[in-house]
This record gives sequence, structure tokens and C-alpha cells, in this order.
Amino acid sequence: MNELEHTSYTSTEGENRPISNARLAVLVLLGAEIMFFAGLIGTFLVFRLGSTTWPPASQVDVRLPVGVTGLNTIVLLLSGFTMFKAQQAIRQGLQNALRNRLFLTGLLGVIFLAVQGYEWVRLVHHGFTLSSGVYGSIFYVLIGCHALHVLVAVFWLLAVFIGATAGRFSVDRHVGVEVCAIYWAFVVLLWPILYVLVYLI
Amino acid sequence: MLKWLNFPEWLPENVSTFGKGVDNLFVAIYWITSIAFLGVMITLIVFLIKYRYQEGRSAGYIHGNTTLEYVWTIATAVIVFGLAMFSLPQWNKIKFPSQFPGDPGAVVQVNGKQFNWDMTYPGPDGEWETDDDLQLENQLHVPVNEVVHIRLTSDDVIHSFFVPQLRLKQDALPGRFINVWFEATKPGTYEIPCAELCGFGHSGMLGYLTVHTEEDYEAWKSERWPDTETKGVNVE
Amino acid sequence: MNEHTQESHDHHHEESFVRKYIFSLDHKTIGKQFLIFGLIMFIVGGGLALLFRWQLAWPDRPLPIIGASQTYLEEGEVETAADRKWEERYDDDKDSWLETNMPSGIIDPNFYNSLFTMHATIMVFFVVVPLLVGAFGNFLIPLMIGTRDMAFPVLNMLSFWSNMLGTIIMIAGFFVPGGHAAAGWTGYAPLSSVPELSGVDWGQNLWCISLIVMGISSLMGSINYITTIINMRAPGMTWFRLPLAIWALFIVAILLLLAFPVVASALGLILFDRLAGTSFFSAEGGGDALLWQHLFWFFAHPEVYILILPGMGMASEMLPVFSRKPIFGYKSMVYAMIAIAFLSWIVWGHHMFQSGMNPALGMAFMTTTMLIAVPSAIKTFNWLGTLYRASIRFTVPMLNTLAFVSMFVIGGLSGIYMANSPVDIYIHDTYYIVAHIHYVVFGGSVFAIFGGVFYWFPKMFGRHMNEILGKIHFWISFIAFNGVFFPMHIIGVGGHMRRISNPTQYEFLQHMQWINVLITMFAFVLGAAQILLLINVFWSMFRGKVAEQNPWQATTLEWQAPTPVPHGNFGAIPHVYHGPYEYSVPGAESDWIPQTQPNGESLPDEPVPAGAAAD
Ligand code: HEA
Ligand code: HEA
Ligand code: CUA
Ligand SMILES: [Cu+2]
Repeated sequence: MNELEHTSYTSTEGENRPISNARLAVLVLLGAEIMFFAGLIGTFLVFRLGSTTWPPASQVDVRLPVGVTGLNTIVLLLSGFTMFKAQQAIRQGLQNALRNRLFLTGLLGVIFLAVQGYEWVRLVHHGFTLSSGVYGSIFYVLIGCHALHVLVAVFWLLAVFIGATAGRFSVDRHVGVEVCAIYWAFVVLLWPILYVLVYLI
Repeated sequence: MLKWLNFPEWLPENVSTFGKGVDNLFVAIYWITSIAFLGVMITLIVFLIKYRYQEGRSAGYIHGNTTLEYVWTIATAVIVFGLAMFSLPQWNKIKFPSQFPGDPGAVVQVNGKQFNWDMTYPGPDGEWETDDDLQLENQLHVPVNEVVHIRLTSDDVIHSFFVPQLRLKQDALPGRFINVWFEATKPGTYEIPCAELCGFGHSGMLGYLTVHTEEDYEAWKSERWPDTETKGVNVE
Repeated sequence: MNEHTQESHDHHHEESFVRKYIFSLDHKTIGKQFLIFGLIMFIVGGGLALLFRWQLAWPDRPLPIIGASQTYLEEGEVETAADRKWEERYDDDKDSWLETNMPSGIIDPNFYNSLFTMHATIMVFFVVVPLLVGAFGNFLIPLMIGTRDMAFPVLNMLSFWSNMLGTIIMIAGFFVPGGHAAAGWTGYAPLSSVPELSGVDWGQNLWCISLIVMGISSLMGSINYITTIINMRAPGMTWFRLPLAIWALFIVAILLLLAFPVVASALGLILFDRLAGTSFFSAEGGGDALLWQHLFWFFAHPEVYILILPGMGMASEMLPVFSRKPIFGYKSMVYAMIAIAFLSWIVWGHHMFQSGMNPALGMAFMTTTMLIAVPSAIKTFNWLGTLYRASIRFTVPMLNTLAFVSMFVIGGLSGIYMANSPVDIYIHDTYYIVAHIHYVVFGGSVFAIFGGVFYWFPKMFGRHMNEILGKIHFWISFIAFNGVFFPMHIIGVGGHMRRISNPTQYEFLQHMQWINVLITMFAFVLGAAQILLLINVFWSMFRGKVAEQNPWQATTLEWQAPTPVPHGNFGAIPHVYHGPYEYSVPGAESDWIPQTQPNGESLPDEPVPAGAAAD
């Protein structure tokens, strides 16, 4: 994301923009992301509403790990909170706090992914796979796409974390943290929706 | 030349009861759009001639005219919305299963498959998948002036059941049964092309609809199911 | 704007060839790259159309030039692709490419399907979008809003090169075993999602992958456009002082941004079906074939407006210039485009009237579709209003613009027939639809492109295109275009289905076959005319009459920049004092007042800071 930072901060014309280019661009990107997931959620709903029983008759024995995933949801929400605190830290110029909180956020993200991965392995062992009917297909594609996004966000966070250890951010120069935080917020806030849709109802 | 501009003249002969309604709508839209088109074109050409560049005449400084804009916006809205409302009953009549005329003179299941139409008659017992079912390839026989019900489905990909002279078209979906009806008004043989791309044999996927007179139809039936008394055949 | 640009602007240091022409970061160069790319792909897409047009006119006559294959001539008959099961064709290396696809010189039915599929795919995704959005969007946005470059030049370059990557993937599909995608540009499942049903193997996969890559390319483009237009307008360039072309591109960028991800997810699902054993679109596995159609048209209907809106915007630039008159109803033009963009999300079902979806939805979609005629009508009438009491100059761009307006009206009005669901029962999937498609995309978008190329060429390349050659190209194209596509209405009304490779197989179409022949002849004339365009473009690039800074005496900012436009576009960032169409202002010295020049009287002189949403 160096490019983003670079341009928005060396620009001398257009000083009084209400919102920086980089932040705007990430918000615009989220528009696309939302539509991407809207497509998949729409697909899920078509199958969900089009089927008299759910899970579909051929897969009634499948039990999704509602409880563990519920706890995992809390983990992810927590990471959203720590990310928010990290942002606050750099707004006040607290370098150490920034680093620690970024680290914590990343850690929570990784835990989330690890738990998800573990549950997937167990599900696959129970014979619930991508190709075992639409239920499995849409489950893995939808949840998998979210997991992929978390993964991307974790790597992004890693880049920001490295920047933070190198002391690249300051009170009035931290758009790199901000845009990452926006993206992080997106993957965090998307999850409860998916959890409710796919696991609970 | 005039024939080229008069679209409705190119419609194939209509032989179904609801076809007339479709044709009438077509003609109505033909007139609405023709008038709109002529209006726009004549204005355009008049303006182009009248306001072409001429030495010593400069253009007006006009940014718009709110009243005029309201007028044409509302006028267009009224026309198109009215047209939609006016057409709804016709659509309902053709496509809504709940509004299909009952008491069909024939019930047939039509299966699209790469690249043929399979027609299945339930036979005298009126039940599907019994011994007296009759399956024909690409041949659909129906009586004239009687309602025909069709259960349309497909074995593989999407096909589309199209009989131009009936003004009837409906896609056939794998895994679904779609109900279609028509009532033919003129005996004869009509082609049933497939109108949805369905693979390399799409071009040439062709069935035939034979509309029989009452006597012919009875004869055809007794030929197919000689043992049973023909009365009652194809009743649900 | 950024340090790098500023620097090179000031010091004029030499850039390497690669940096300057290939991996350029300059929006103008990227725009030109898109332009040349699009024009070349236009030949490819059109060439495919000529191939299958021959087949439609003379289904049993071998193609000229290409002719029958050697094996065919010796053995009399060869298995065609359609004769073979797809498993057999999959590892088929005994035949040459020509023998598989047109052994007797006659196009194999499956190849025919690939041809129109690729014709449409290329024309839509590799010609019209790259030209309208890629070329004109890139070139015009920074210049017309008065800034030095796009917000993210690197992203911009990546957008072009991922577009090239997508193209390579798409073209590669022609040469894989099993042939290229053959399920239509609409790729209806399960024909597209189950390899066994079409016999096409990697062709379809590559089609999906390529479109996903193209989606990423447009995503990068639209992020750039939206950010740039929102954030980087010159001081005083308020929203309602933006040229309509910029409004159009802004709206289109939003549509692209929101529409493409939906189809990307759907294309991903098709790939899963084909490669990973899922069954999203096959009934056996619990899937639903209609799901694809919903997802596709939810994207593709906005897509067709993506194809027309920039054309509308460009027409709204050229009409005032050559009428020497302000555009009629500027604000209602803007609102109409917003309305079109908004409505385009809720009309997708009009492609599915006969698909077997709930007929009640048919009623709803008929109504919304009819309503979309209203903003289009507003635009049409406003264009007419612009001509009222004008002083019209019939230059080449103006001729093409006028063709755009009138041909779009024909295409739009034929849309009314199909929007009417009972009538659509009959004309759906006939050549009536094909006529509609081409009247809006060729008569509309492509004529706008012709006009736009001619109009902005002097700014792009510092030279004029040849006026006489331009007029000849215009008139031949215009007449041949109508010769090709108007008769399609007729055969459509006669019931002629689209996507059939051999109309002579049908009894009820026999009496119209001569019209197919006529259409094909005109198509060849139309194709030949495009050679003139190419000659004109490439010849004028190097040999054209040198252009002055503002040859058309236009008011918008791009014409106030020097020609050729330097790196960084403007010496000092211009200040904007009023709207873009101040022509023939009473009492003014000349009949045009550039946006950079205050015109006193009724309009405010104070520059308003960019970003402040005044007006
Ligand atoms: C640039 C592209 C473009 C544009 C702008 C449009 C514009 C419109 N289109 Fe079109 N359309 C396509 C590209 C486009 N279309 C393509 C590519 C397909 C085929 C896809 C495929 O299957 O392969 C298609 C298919 C298509 C269908 C599906 C047909 C079928 O498959 O059965 C329908 C049905 O409703 C439709 C309707 C319309 C309507 C109502 C408009 C309206 O926006 C038009 C509005 C304009 C006007 C009406 C003219 C100006 C107005 C006046 C002069 C005022 C007076 C008018 C009245 C009083 C009515 N289009
Ligand atoms: C932007 C969109 C666009 C454009 C510009 C065109 C341009 C043309 N189209 Fe296309 N067309 C579509 C979009 C477009 N089309 C779409 C979306 C479909 C639906 C596909 C589907 O059903 O899935 C379609 C389908 C379609 C069909 C229906 C096929 C079928 O259903 O079986 C036909 C038939 O005639 C056709 C013809 C043409 C012709 C003759 C041109 C001409 O205008 C082209 C003119 C240009 C040239 C010819 C190039 C220049 C030529 C030369 C320089 C000559 C030298 C080259 C050689 C001889 C190789 N098109
Ligand atoms: Cu079956 Cu086309
Ligand atoms: Cu549409």
C-alpha cells in the first residue's frame, strides 16, 4: 500500500480534501467487496429459501460447529476492538501501544483462522465436503471466501506491523494504519452476518 | 420498401387463441414507437436544416426549459406505464398457471434433450409413467380448437419450446416442470424449433406440431391406442 | 501532483522507451494504449462476425480464402468437432486446428457457437469497455477536471496490463483442445458449467478466468476514476460544473465497481462446478440453473448501460461544441444518467421473461423496464433541444454524434417491444434482439467512439485526422450499418432464431434467406469501411495536419491545456469559473468562454475550493 500513501501525502494541490485519496480508495474497494459477498450470499439464500428443509434432505446429519464458531466470532470481534485501539494509539502518537495492539490484533486474526481451519478439517472428516451437494458447496465457498479475506487482512496487517516497528507512523502521518483498519473492520463486521446466516438460521 | 417498414406484415400467420392478443400488442407498440421515432427524426432533420451554420446568424443562448422538460418526461412516463398496465392481462393469460383454461383436450409432457424433443402422452389412463404411456420423438399431435396443456422439462441443458405460429415460447429447465398451454385454431403442421442455445446441435433441433381436425385426432388416437375406447383418452 | 510527476515535469528528464510507452504511468499514454488496443480488438471481433455472417448467408458454401482443408479435399469427408464426443476431442492431436473447426471449409456447428460467443465477448469486454471507459476515461478525466494525473498512476498502469493479461487468456482459448467457450456471451448454465454437455473443456474455463481478470482490471480502473473525480477536481470545478462526459464516466465507474464483483463470484461458482465437483447450477446436485441467469443479468444489465453511458456523455460534449450552444437541460441530463444507473439494477429480469422464473416477477420487471425509457427519453429530447436555434457545423464528430442520437433512438425503441413481456414471448431469442443489440451498441456506443476518436484526436496526438476520409468512412459505415442491422428486425419478426448456424434447416425461414444474404453483403461493406478508419487513425498519428491548441473552440479544460499535452497536463492548475457549455453567450467577444475564464454577469467569479459540494 506504499503507493497509496505516497500519492496522498506528497500531493500539494488539493490540500483541503475532506478525505484522503487512500482512504477513499479503500472505501470504494469495500463497495466492490460488499457486492462480491452479496453475490455469494444471494446464492446461499436462493438455496436456503428454495429448499424445504435445511440442511437439504441429503445432508440432514451434518452439524455445523455452532458453539465453537460462536466463540470464534467473539475472538474476531475482539480483534476488531484491538484494531480500533491501535488506531487510537497512533492518533496520540503512542508508538509502543500501537505495536502491541497491532500484534494482538494479528494474533487474534490468526487464532480465528486456525480455529476455522481445524473445524474444517473435522467437517471434512465427517464426510462434509465441497462436492457433497449444494449445502457443502455453498458453505465452503462462502465461508472460505471470508477466510481468504481474513488471510489477506492478516498479511496486510503484518506489513503495517513491520512499518510500525520501523517507526514509520506518527500522529499526523498514519494513513497506512487507517486504511488497514478500515479493511480489517470490514472483514470483522462481515463475519457476524455470515455466522448468523450460515450457522444459526 | 413500405413493406420493410411495416413490421407486423412479416409476422407468420397466427394460429392460436392468445396469439391475436400478442399481435395486437405488437401492432400497438409498433404505432407508438413509429410515431415517437418519426417525431424525433422529423424534428431532428428540420433542426439540422434550419439551424445549420449560416454566415451572420449566431446560435441562441438557451440552457433549458423546465416546463417543456416536465411535459415530455411526464408524457413519456404516462405512455410507457400505461402500456405496461395495458399489457399485463395478456401476460397473465398466457403465463400464469392459475389462469390457464381448464378441461384440456390433450395433456403432453415435452422433454427437451440434446437435440430432440421427446413428447410423452399419458395414455388413456391419464397417469404418467404407466404402461400405456406413448413416447414420440419430435412429433406433437393435438386437436384443433381445444386447450392443450404441456408439462415442459429438460433432460440436460436449457432448451426453449418455440412455435412461431402459436406466438408461444417457453424455456425448458432441467429439474423443473413448467406448465404451458395453448389452443390452436387451424389444422396443419408447424415447426417447433428450439430457441435457446443448447450446444452444437442447437441449430436443427426441430420438432413438428401437428394440429388435427377433430376426426383426424380421434383417428390418430385410435391408431395409437387401439385397445381402449378412444373416449376419455388424454383426460387427466 | 506527486513528487515524481512534478519533478519530471520541471526538469524534462528523458524517460526510457519502456517507461514512456509500455509501462507508462501517465494517464494520457495509458489512454492511448487502451485506444489502440480497443481498435485492434475491434478488427478481431468484427472479423469473427464476418466469418459467421458468411455461414449464415451461404451455409453450404466453403469459406472464401480459407477454403476446405487438405484432408477434406482428399478424403471427401472428415469428422467434424460436433461429430465427436467431448472426451474424444479432449486429447485430439491428429487434426489441425482448421480441420477441427471447419474441415470442409464450412464452419462446424460447435465452432459457430464459439464464434458468436467470442464475437460478443470481445466486442463487449475487449472493445467497447476498453475504448469508452479505458481510453476516453483515462485520457479525459484528469484533463477535464483539471488535475495532473490519476490519483493512483501505478494502479492505472496495472489496470491496463491486467487487461492485456485477460486478453491473452481469452485469445488462448481458441487454441485449446475442445475449442473455445461456446455457450454464448451469456454463458447460460448448465451448458457452460458441465463440460460433458457442451464438449468444451478448457475453452470455457479460460473464458471464466479471463473475465475475472478483466473484472479486476476494471475494479482498479474504477477505484482510480472515482477517487480522482471526487478528490482531485480543480479549484472551482464543482459537481455541477463537471462536463457531462465526466459525469457519465463517474457513474459508469460506480456501476462497474458494483456490477463486476457479482459476476466474478458467479464465474467463480462456474469454475467450481467445472473443476471442483460442486453443482451450483445442475439440478442433480441440488443446484439451480436459473441462479446463474439471475447473477449474470444482475451484472449484465448494468453492463449494457456501462456500454452506452460514456457514449451519451461524449455525445453531450460534441453536440454543444458543434451547435455552438449550451447543452439543453444540463441538470436533467445529470439526473437522467443517475436515474438510468439506478434503474439499471432493478430491470435484469427482462432478459428472463421466458426463462421459467415466476411469472409474477415478469410483471414487475416489465414495469421497471418500461420506466427506464423515461430518463432515456429525457436525454434524447434534451439533445434535440440543444439543436434548437443552434448554428450547426457538420464536422465528422458531429455527423457521428448525430448518428449516435438517431440510431440509439431506434435501438431504444425496439427495446420497448421486448420490455413488453407478452410481445417478448414471441421475439425473445430472435434476430429482433440481435437488431436491438447492435442498434444500441454499434449505432450507439460505436458511433460515439468514432466521433470521440475524431474529436479528441488532435488533443491526443497533436494532429488532426483527415476530414474527407473521415466523412467517407462515416457515410459508408452509416449506410452499411443500417443495411446490416435494419433487416434483422424483419427476419426477427419473421421468427428467425438467433444463435443458429444454419437457417435453411427450417421451413418457415426459407422465404427470408435472401435477407440473410443481403445482410452479409452489407456486413462486408461495413467491415471494409473500418479499414478506412484504421488507415485514418494510424496515418494521421504521424502525418496528419498539425493541430492547434483548441481547434474546435471548445470550452472544457482539456482544450485549455497545451498541445501536445505535457507530462503533468497544465502549467498551473486551472481555476474554473463556470459550467462547461458557455457557447454564444450574448455580449461576449467570442462565441465560447472557456471554463477557465470568468464570464462576469450571472455566474460567480470566486473560485470554489474543490471538494466543497457547492451548487
Ligand atoms: C448499450 C446497450 C443497451 C442499451 C442502452 C439497452 C437499452 C434498453 N434495452 Fe436492451 N439489450 C442490450 C443492450 C442494451 N439495451 C443487449 C446487448 C441485449 C441482449 C443480451 C443478450 O441476450 O445477448 C439487450 C436485450 C434486451 C432485452 C431482452 C430481450 C430478450 O432477450 O428477450 C430487453 C427486454 O426488455 C431490453 C430492453 C431494453 C430497454 C427497454 C432499453 C431502454 O434503455 C431504451 C430506452 C430508450 C428509448 C425508449 C429511446 C428514446 C426515447 C424516446 C425517443 C422517447 C419516446 C419513447 C416512448 C414513448 C416509448 N434489452
Ligand atoms: C459492442 C458490441 C458489438 C459490435 C460492435 C458488434 C458488431 C457486429 N456484429 Fe454482433 N453481437 C454482439 C455485440 C456486437 N456486435 C453481441 C453482444 C451479440 C450476441 C451474442 C450471443 O448471442 O451470445 C452479437 C451477435 C451477433 C450476431 C448474431 C449471431 C447469432 O445469434 O447467431 C450477428 C449476426 O449477424 C452479429 C453481427 C455483427 C456484425 C456484422 C458486426 C459488425 O458491425 C462488425 C463490423 C466490424 C468489422 C467487420 C471489423 C473490421 C473489419 C475489417 C478491417 C475487415 C478485415 C477483417 C477480416 C475479414 C477478418 N453479431
Ligand atoms: Cu435445444 Cu437449442
Ligand atoms: Cu437488459
